[in-house]
Amino acid sequence: MTSATAAGAGVRLIAAGIGELVVSADPATALVAYGLGSCVALAAHDARGGIAALAHFMLPAGTASAEAPVKFVEPGLDAFLEAFVAAGGDPARATYKAAGGAAMLRLAGGGLDIGQRNAEAVLRGLERRGLRLAAADLGGSAGRTVQLETRTGRLLVRSIVGTTTL
Amino acid sequence: MNERPTTTDDELLAETLSAAMVRASDVLAEMSGRPIRISTPSIDRCSPDDVAHMAGGAEVVVVAVYLGILGALSGHALLLLEPDSARRLAGFLLDSVGSGRPVESEGAVDLDDLGRSALGEIGNVTVSAFLNELGRRSSLAILTTPPQVVVEMAGAVIDAAVSDVVGEQDRVLAAHTIFHDGEDRIHALLLVLPELGSLQRLLTASDPRLP
Repeated sequence: MTSATAAGAGVRLIAAGIGELVVSADPATALVAYGLGSCVALAAHDARGGIAALAHFMLPAGTASAEAPVKFVEPGLDAFLEAFVAAGGDPARATYKAAGGAAMLRLAGGGLDIGQRNAEAVLRGLERRGLRLAAADLGGSAGRTVQLETRTGRLLVRSIVGTTTL
Repeated sequence: MNERPTTTDDELLAETLSAAMVRASDVLAEMSGRPIRISTPSIDRCSPDDVAHMAGGAEVVVVAVYLGILGALSGHALLLLEPDSARRLAGFLLDSVGSGRPVESEGAVDLDDLGRSALGEIGNVTVSAFLNELGRRSSLAILTTPPQVVVEMAGAVIDAAVSDVVGEQDRVLAAHTIFHDGEDRIHALLLVLPELGSLQRLLTASDPRLP
């Protein structure tokens, strides 16, 4: 896949499907969430501990399940931070970045503005926990794939027109 | 994993889809003057991740024709095609109406306005045929919005539509769809994303004895 090239030689990709979270302490890994539309990916990186985590949120709020612990931003943020801590990350000193939350279709009935609501839920959820985003690429009308480098904490955001780095 | 749910509902859906594609084939054949036939060899209920996988991967660029569904069945419908397939399918119509140019481009995903319009019309005919057939069998009115054609990552398009309707129940109706023109075959994925309970109400109201 093209993503393997983008990750660089020797870097192993670990993917977070919809509603999934992935955590790594291996500097030779990158965490990736493919094809985000209205979904939002939240990245946490503890540079001192060398810990990275990535969540692939689908909806702003709902009932969590074991198969999809971060399908919903609330209460998924708790599961995300718990997994980050369990891997040795420190939420207070971590850097947070987010991308996604697009609205690419004019949905029948006006839609539910899920992308915007997901983005707002992440911002509010972090704020409630005394945390905030260091960088974000949210909203707009383009799909995105995000890739968090465990070693550096860089978040690459790819769309069909190009790549930006947060 | 994909599910093949209750036999009765699945058989009813498959029969409805099959009958609808006969009607859609007739319409497209008339529009194009070519012997176009549409078949749907399989229909499944899948998770969004499964559907993205069926489309070639969440990051794969696809051409998507989107139609909103209103009335007795509410939700969304998508017809997904690889860019090259989309250009060839648009050519089914455009080559026959004397546009004077083939629907081709050097870019991997470029589609001009005419190509987008043709694809929108093909998506409209295909999706509307299925919904009209569902409506006919249930005696309920189902409407669609005008088609939109977008070029995007498969996962992103699916995600945008799925997130709006499914919530707790994230199952998408996915039909592998083949457009035949003589020996030429174009593969597509027809997705119907009904709001929770909407499709079941319609199936319950459907008369299985109707031809």
